[in-house]
Amino acid sequence: MGKLLEWARSASPWILHLNCGSCNGCDIETLDSLMPRYDLERFGVLKKDTPRHADVLVCTGPVTRQMEPRLERIYEQMPEPKLVVAAGSCAASGGVFQDCYSCHDGVDEVIPVDMYVPGCPISPEALIDGLVRLLEESGEGGKASRLRERSEGIFEDSDAPAGVIDDEHVADT
Amino acid sequence: MSLAVELGQSLFYVLVFPGFAFLFGYALVAEYADRKLYARLQNRVGPPAVQPFADFLKLLSKESIVPEDAEGTIFEAAPIVALAGVLTPILYVPIWSVEAVFAFQGDLIVVLFLLTIPSFALIFGGWHSRNAFGQVGTVRTLTQLFGYEIPFFLACLAPAVAAGTWSVSGIASFVGTRPLYIPVFAIGFAVALLSLQAKLERIPFDVPEAETELVTGPLVEYSGRKLALFRLTKDVELVVGAALLSALFLGGPYPAGAIADVGSTAGAVIGFGVFLVKTLAIVFVLTVLRAVLARLRIEQLVSVFYLWLVPLALIQLAVVGVVGTTEVIP
Repeated sequence: MGKLLEWARSASPWILHLNCGSCNGCDIETLDSLMPRYDLERFGVLKKDTPRHADVLVCTGPVTRQMEPRLERIYEQMPEPKLVVAAGSCAASGGVFQDCYSCHDGVDEVIPVDMYVPGCPISPEALIDGLVRLLEESGEGGKASRLRERSEGIFEDSDAPAGVIDDEHVADT
Repeated sequence: MSLAVELGQSLFYVLVFPGFAFLFGYALVAEYADRKLYARLQNRVGPPAVQPFADFLKLLSKESIVPEDAEGTIFEAAPIVALAGVLTPILYVPIWSVEAVFAFQGDLIVVLFLLTIPSFALIFGGWHSRNAFGQVGTVRTLTQLFGYEIPFFLACLAPAVAAGTWSVSGIASFVGTRPLYIPVFAIGFAVALLSLQAKLERIPFDVPEAETELVTGPLVEYSGRKLALFRLTKDVELVVGAALLSALFLGGPYPAGAIADVGSTAGAVIGFGVFLVKTLAIVFVLTVLRAVLARLRIEQLVSVFYLWLVPLALIQLAVVGVVGTTEVIP
């Protein structure tokens, strides 16, 4: 039963796309990946409009101070289990907005992040690759660090090696 | 037949075929066909065949949130009531034989009543979620309900008047044995198709959901298994609506009776095959409508239904009356 549920979760990721102060480049590319040319629905991805329906939060932009409480609130509104993708250089590290007085340096200063997708702007291929790898790892015995922490006691025999997710985040929390 | 056997048979009808298990499977198949065709019409690849099942299973396994401000009981009961409302009518619609499993005189009214229940469940659930988007969406669902129910009922009345019976099975066998009546019902069939599309809140009649303005309307606060049940409700409603229209306007399992004896096993198999072909054809028409049309505004929707479809449904009734009294069709 556990395996079936893990399969269902990895086969049906519904995303919520949130602009946290991005220049709109990554947003266009995110939407582009849902368009006919790339068609993320092949992997079961649907773009949802409300955080209550979503499984994966795709954040773009460095998170402005204005956006910070809203991002936190939307993250809290999503039902468990949930994953966060930081899409683009700004979302990963602040990008060109690094050390800006009005911005954070990336999404992981506000909410925990499971996957960083590089690029300025991200290419649709990079986002698809990020999502697919994230979902591969979010399954049973998964490597996604935050999921493993959360599911301790459920999948105790999880001895999988660390994956593309950097392990520094495990040290933080 | 002893009581135990009869009870067991009834339970089989309700729980396995054509009840819960069959409808669950067929609804997921219909959703897949709908999404795949929609994707192909948009020049996309579309989801894999197991996608609806994966979505359903994933939603079941997710956290199901009840908002703090919501009326918990109503909010939680709404999806169950909606699903029960759409699972029941299939027992009164003929599937593999001329007679539905629990057919009786007047079951058309019961079916039409039961098919309104999911809309009301959505209204109660959406309103009591106490979300601003949900409440505006609920008001639109109600406005839309007044729009489509009248033409839908009037359109379904036409075959009933022609057949002189209120039983879905009786209407199906009347239309099935007189195929010349099918073109007579063309107007009513078109009206019923558009009304069914509005009942299902699909494009172009998806004003309550209107994701660009209302997020997802009444469903905005639903998550996890409650959302899974509401999505399943929509799929089952699509299948049951298609089955009802095929029975009323296209003669249900006919022409299976012409090929093999309806009571026999071969007749049942052919009848079931005809049922699948007819319902999937109706689902395909609804999908093409969804793919080629754009959303109407709420006041445009009401005027389309009241200014165009209600008069058309009345014309259909007049046509049926003329055909019936002149007896041009034997």
